[in-house]
Amino acid sequence: MEQLLNIPAILAIAFAGSILVFVTHLVLPRLRTAVVLLLTLVPAYLVWQLPVDSPMVYFSLGGFDLSWGTNPYSRLFSLLIAGIGVLSTIYSLAFMKNKARLGFFYLAFLATIAAMYGIVFSQDLLSLFFFWEIMTWSSFLLVIYYRFENQQAGIRYFVFSAVGAYALLTAIVYLYSFTGDLSLAATFRVIPQLSTTQLSWITVLFLLGFGVKSALMPMHVWAPDAYRSAPSPFTALFSGVLSKMGVFGMGLVLFKFMGGLEPGHIIREVLAWMGGITALLGTFYAVFQTDAKKLLAYSSIAQLGYIIVGLAIGTPMSVMAAIFLALMHGIFKSMLFMGVGSVFHQTGSLDLNELTGLIRRMPLSFVTVLMGIITVAGVPPLGGFVGKWLLYESLITSNHYFLVIVLFTSSTAAFLYLYRLIFSIFLGQEEREFDHIKEVSWVMWVPMLILAGMTLVTGILPGIFFGPIAEAMQYLGFPQIDWQMSVLFNPWGNQVDMLSVITSIATVFLLGLAFITWKNFRTTRYVTTKDIHTSGEMPTENENLTYAIDFYRPFERAAAPIFKYKVTRMYASFAENAEHLFDLLRHVYTGNAQTYALYVVIFLVILIVFSGWIFGIQI
Amino acid sequence: MSFDWIKLLGFIVTPLIASAVGFTYMGLSRKITARVQNRIGPGISQSFIDVVKLYSKKTAINHGLMQHMGPVFAITASITTLLFLPVIKDSIFFANFSFRGDLIFLIYIMVFGQLGMALGAGQTGNPNSAIGVSRGLSQMVGFKVPYVMALVAIMIHAKSTNLQEIIAVQDGFRNWMVFQMPLASLAGLLAYLGYMGYAPFDVPFAPAELASGPPSEFGGKYLALMMTSRSIFTFAKLVLFVDVFFGGASNFIELLIKTFLLYLFALFVGLVNPRFRTEQSIQFWWKWPTAIGALALLLVAWKG
Repeated sequence: MEQLLNIPAILAIAFAGSILVFVTHLVLPRLRTAVVLLLTLVPAYLVWQLPVDSPMVYFSLGGFDLSWGTNPYSRLFSLLIAGIGVLSTIYSLAFMKNKARLGFFYLAFLATIAAMYGIVFSQDLLSLFFFWEIMTWSSFLLVIYYRFENQQAGIRYFVFSAVGAYALLTAIVYLYSFTGDLSLAATFRVIPQLSTTQLSWITVLFLLGFGVKSALMPMHVWAPDAYRSAPSPFTALFSGVLSKMGVFGMGLVLFKFMGGLEPGHIIREVLAWMGGITALLGTFYAVFQTDAKKLLAYSSIAQLGYIIVGLAIGTPMSVMAAIFLALMHGIFKSMLFMGVGSVFHQTGSLDLNELTGLIRRMPLSFVTVLMGIITVAGVPPLGGFVGKWLLYESLITSNHYFLVIVLFTSSTAAFLYLYRLIFSIFLGQEEREFDHIKEVSWVMWVPMLILAGMTLVTGILPGIFFGPIAEAMQYLGFPQIDWQMSVLFNPWGNQVDMLSVITSIATVFLLGLAFITWKNFRTTRYVTTKDIHTSGEMPTENENLTYAIDFYRPFERAAAPIFKYKVTRMYASFAENAEHLFDLLRHVYTGNAQTYALYVVIFLVILIVFSGWIFGIQI
Repeated sequence: MSFDWIKLLGFIVTPLIASAVGFTYMGLSRKITARVQNRIGPGISQSFIDVVKLYSKKTAINHGLMQHMGPVFAITASITTLLFLPVIKDSIFFANFSFRGDLIFLIYIMVFGQLGMALGAGQTGNPNSAIGVSRGLSQMVGFKVPYVMALVAIMIHAKSTNLQEIIAVQDGFRNWMVFQMPLASLAGLLAYLGYMGYAPFDVPFAPAELASGPPSEFGGKYLALMMTSRSIFTFAKLVLFVDVFFGGASNFIELLIKTFLLYLFALFVGLVNPRFRTEQSIQFWWKWPTAIGALALLLVAWKG
């Protein structure tokens, strides 16, 4: 094991593993499950064991010097990938059972995980870009897993990713024109010598590239459909971890590259407001969704808005909040997608207007989704509260008054869609058509409950995340940050003691539960949901008493003037505009290799002709 | 942390007092409503009688575990909110956990009970409950905007998010937040009307229309626990608003006077107003109170 503890070995195992799974599926389908498990657990275990200061690995490829290495920042994200990667793989074993093209599925699945390891371990821009593209490709393959009906979503995802990738590539080439060396270390040395304009361009290009993956508005268009289309185990990984790669990159750019971009810089403020607006609009869109996964997709967009706000503000506390929220989002969004995926697996539906009353059929999925929504809502004592608290306090103490209002409004409106999600699926009238539904197998609920447990642990002892985050932030150039295991405090010295909170909540809750259960235990009866108070009328067996369609009609009416016109119409025109854009792009992407070759030539000619003007250098 | 019997006693006694005060206010409100409507009305102790009767009910029904736990969520949030509030200024006995939490924590913990109740009411399968929850949550998005604006303005003004310290900057009658920051207080007090849930903002619980909405399926011990929770929560809300806007209270009499006057404010507004529809109340809050709150924030930003 010792000699395997280095990055090339891990990446080799991870990438070779994805191909091996594919081959195994072709040759010996029976062994597939075992091989998949082994090839996810081994790299994850090696990443876990990898020391923070493992030696850098240098090698040369095609005239470029590549280097891979670990640091506290990449370790933090690699553990997130490993954790969620393993859990979603285990979940997928049962979810994907008896589905078609499993070799293809696991090839892309494991390749995505491997590529994400590659991204966080890259110490030079070229390998970062290389792994970034592998990640895009393999995740694209999973978005179009259910082929035909999802082509639109897949193409949309791919086009936006391609735009992001070109932005990244341009930024990298631009930087290379100054450094002549692609390693991060050399880049950091050169950056202080660049002019402000040059720096701003590089920052904006990088942020564009990373912003696409984290679905920052207005680059979010691909996300709802892509999240919706991918199989649920992958959506958990997609929204939980893959979108964090954008956050990972943004953190690198905003703090490591652009040390000169002091807090309060215009780019930071604009980015923060973009994040804030993403959070607000994402939430409002989510309120009006009727598809569970799409609702969660918009919620995911909104939550990433919070994270980006924290990163953009750039005070130690806000960055702490952002990274904490990023980890929490990885946990709670994968768990919500898994929970909703379980419902889909058992009932074959994601329609909030159709599903109802599953709580007694699928209690464990209910608990998962319940813990998930409490975490998203940021209600104490679960971990979501810690992140939200840190973010709000950091905004208030750093004079971002209106931004904090925007975020507060967004997170209050989040209650709407969260309640709708859990109410429509699990609560409400129990219908006969769902009587035969059973809880999912333990292979699926164990990962979900592990994640649910994590939300409780991080709520009581957020310090287990604060420690690694503080180290990562030191790597990003922040001074030593004070943190405590379970006490949150802001720069003004005000605090929240999570242990007192949990003491109070747990004591009262347990006493209350004991009281209400013990009192009249024998004479407390269960009655069905048809046996309700209806002012004297007896509802018949077939009477529809479910309140689900247009659940938030009053809110929609109230919010309509703010959106100027009806929300549905806004979607239509939005979709129409987007389609026009894609139509335009279709003329660019003709599908003809000759045309693409022509583009490359034209691009090179432009580069050569205008190189002096663009890069300020002579060839 | 040395074990302190006085403190433990405080943890137990504070919710009891809160509950007693809450029930008294509820009884008084019924009496006052009756007098305004030229009726005689029930006795002041009617709420106590009601809750004692409910606690002594021999049977109960529920529609499942979530409904069973809903009232427990509610009382957990009510008592926890209360314990993290400085009920009486500089009192050790009533201090409880008030040094260990701040205003933003309070904003969030106050939702905990409503969320639990909403989940419990959801499981009953009664369409009226779901409609009530949908309306209640929508209204919450309405009044939270001016409410948070007011609180953020005050937190920035006081340079603290801790209630103890916010009370400390309001030393003396003239330094009450309503006089220091009239705009923020106005926005906050308009939002307070939404928090209390009296008319014109009582559409989530509209008795004649929704059969009381969310609580309609709860009876016996469940309703008893919910009423207890409501009495504590009403008191906690009043204390919070007195602490933030009216300088807190240094003794119990002062606290009773201030909280009761604040309670009367919500009650009287309710007595002379008809009921808003949900979208009307949301739009009400998003117009003037939000504008006033934004102005207050701008003023604070300009000063600070």
